Amino acid sequence: MALDTILLVGVLVTCGTYLLLQRSFVRILFGFLILSNAANLFVLCTSGEPGNRLAPILDGRPGPRVDPLPQALILTAIVIGFGVTAYLVVLLYRLFLDHGTTNAADLYPPDPSTSEPLPPEES
Amino acid sequence: MNLVLLPVLLPLLTGLALLVVARPSRTRRWVGAGSALLQLVVALALVVHLRDGGWLVMMSGGWAAPHGIAITADLLAALMVSLAAFTSLACLLYGYFELPASEEHPLRLPLVQFLLTGINLAFLTGDLFNLFVAFEVMLVASYALLTLEADNWDIKQAFPYIAVNLTGSTLFLCAAGLAYSLFGTLNLAHIATRATALEGDPRLVALALLLLGIFALKAGLFPLYLWLPGSYPVLPTPLAALFAGLLTKVGIFVILRLVATVLPPGLDQVHRVLAVLAAVTMVLGVLGAISRNFLRGILSFHILSQVGFMVLAIGLFTPLSIAAAILYLVHHIVVKSSLFLVGGVVSVLNRSDDLDRTGNLWNAAPGLAMLFLVQALSLAGLPPLSGFWGKYLIVVAGFGLHQWLLAGVALMAGLLTLFSMLKIWIAVFWRQDDHVPVAVGDARWRPMSWVVGGLTLVSLSLGLGVEGLFRLARQASETALDRPGYIRAVQTASGRPLTP
Repeated sequence: MALDTILLVGVLVTCGTYLLLQRSFVRILFGFLILSNAANLFVLCTSGEPGNRLAPILDGRPGPRVDPLPQALILTAIVIGFGVTAYLVVLLYRLFLDHGTTNAADLYPPDPSTSEPLPPEES
Repeated sequence: MNLVLLPVLLPLLTGLALLVVARPSRTRRWVGAGSALLQLVVALALVVHLRDGGWLVMMSGGWAAPHGIAITADLLAALMVSLAAFTSLACLLYGYFELPASEEHPLRLPLVQFLLTGINLAFLTGDLFNLFVAFEVMLVASYALLTLEADNWDIKQAFPYIAVNLTGSTLFLCAAGLAYSLFGTLNLAHIATRATALEGDPRLVALALLLLGIFALKAGLFPLYLWLPGSYPVLPTPLAALFAGLLTKVGIFVILRLVATVLPPGLDQVHRVLAVLAAVTMVLGVLGAISRNFLRGILSFHILSQVGFMVLAIGLFTPLSIAAAILYLVHHIVVKSSLFLVGGVVSVLNRSDDLDRTGNLWNAAPGLAMLFLVQALSLAGLPPLSGFWGKYLIVVAGFGLHQWLLAGVALMAGLLTLFSMLKIWIAVFWRQDDHVPVAVGDARWRPMSWVVGGLTLVSLSLGLGVEGLFRLARQASETALDRPGYIRAVQTASGRPLTP
């Protein structure tokens, strides 16, 4: 399998993980974007080395073809990832409107607020 | 038209129809409840059809097995689908009684239907990548429901849930890629044919651990559970009950499906890892429940400890323990949702579910107190109730394998569950405090407790009619463990053999 693709996946996963562990939710969003691209590339790797093989389009030409299944999977995964990203961006925007920050350190102050009761429900 | 596809199609079409009519109205509610009822009927028909074992397979689009996506159902999946329909019906009715139609968020009903689409598809799919799609449908709907009605204070609690589940989904995609490169197929029956040849291969063990880790994350197993107890209390009560009843169970169902039906039975180390992690989850979950001081928080931690029970039963991996896990799943979905709903009634009556600000409810609502007591004792596992039988069988299976420590931990966790349930009981129902207001004049709580009463009746009949239920669970575990039967069913449906 192509070594450069594997290295690229490694680099992307490293960057994505680093960003996911940050405090700012915007960085977490970017981390997720990079990580999902790494995953897509990783799935592409499973179709084997592309060298000298044709794209899986039926045009009557003979010759070995690239496995189309992983590409179909990636297409699905990209669409799903796009939807999730759109949702996340809107959510972050709302978080910013509500709290004026998207930094986890400011959102979750270290006081024991997690054991606080929920505000009573309006009726 | 094959019966198997209906549990997926019905909620999908209902959700779309409800999107078209955006304005909340009473008709819309009737449509939602009617669809849930119809789903329940379909699911029960599936259970009746499959009660003597066997598989119902549909190849979507008529494509043959390794390439076409198979929709498969056995008794286990049918039971899960009927529980999903039942819980959603109860939670929808409860939500109708809680809020007048005009105040309901217009997207709540369609999103619940989409959530059910994802859950049912995850139960019924016979394809690893389709399982990924099902999970994504379910998760995106759950993200939206989690943040839809959350206020400024709540909304940030949803972020850990979303971040953790997104990472889990990405890992799942990678795992699907790995499975494809290892087996050359994504069809679960085809994987089952090819995995046998790879038995003893470290790559198979690694892939099994990765897959089980991902679903353990979704199920809330130690050490991947911290996102759960913080995010579930954010939800409005009926949705919290729906999530508590169903979402983590989808993870457990997939673990069960993979371990029992797809992966070869010789993966002893993997089973042992599952059992030990489950025992740790059980203890930490119940300790967390004791540490919390508001009702929904306690109940959310209890989900974890019950998840531990079910996964422990799967990890023991005998036909008896798998049957016990299925029995426990059935019991837990009903009991857990109804406990969350009781919590909702309490916060209507006391205007809070903080244990320091509740009380007096034994005098105000003795019926509700009895319902809570029955369900709490059932959760803790006292004899005639449904929770007892599952726990009893799990402990018996543990003793049968000479796993004294694991069985002992399970018994201790049951005891601690009883303790934390008594904590709720004393603070909410028993305590007399003149400063605590009780809003008995609020007319909503009576119809809301009827729903809880209905769920309690079902759980009581599960406990008292345990013989029939156990027969079903036994049959379900036999079918789920019958890998050649599964492969044969898929081959017959697609009309050609799966190459090993």
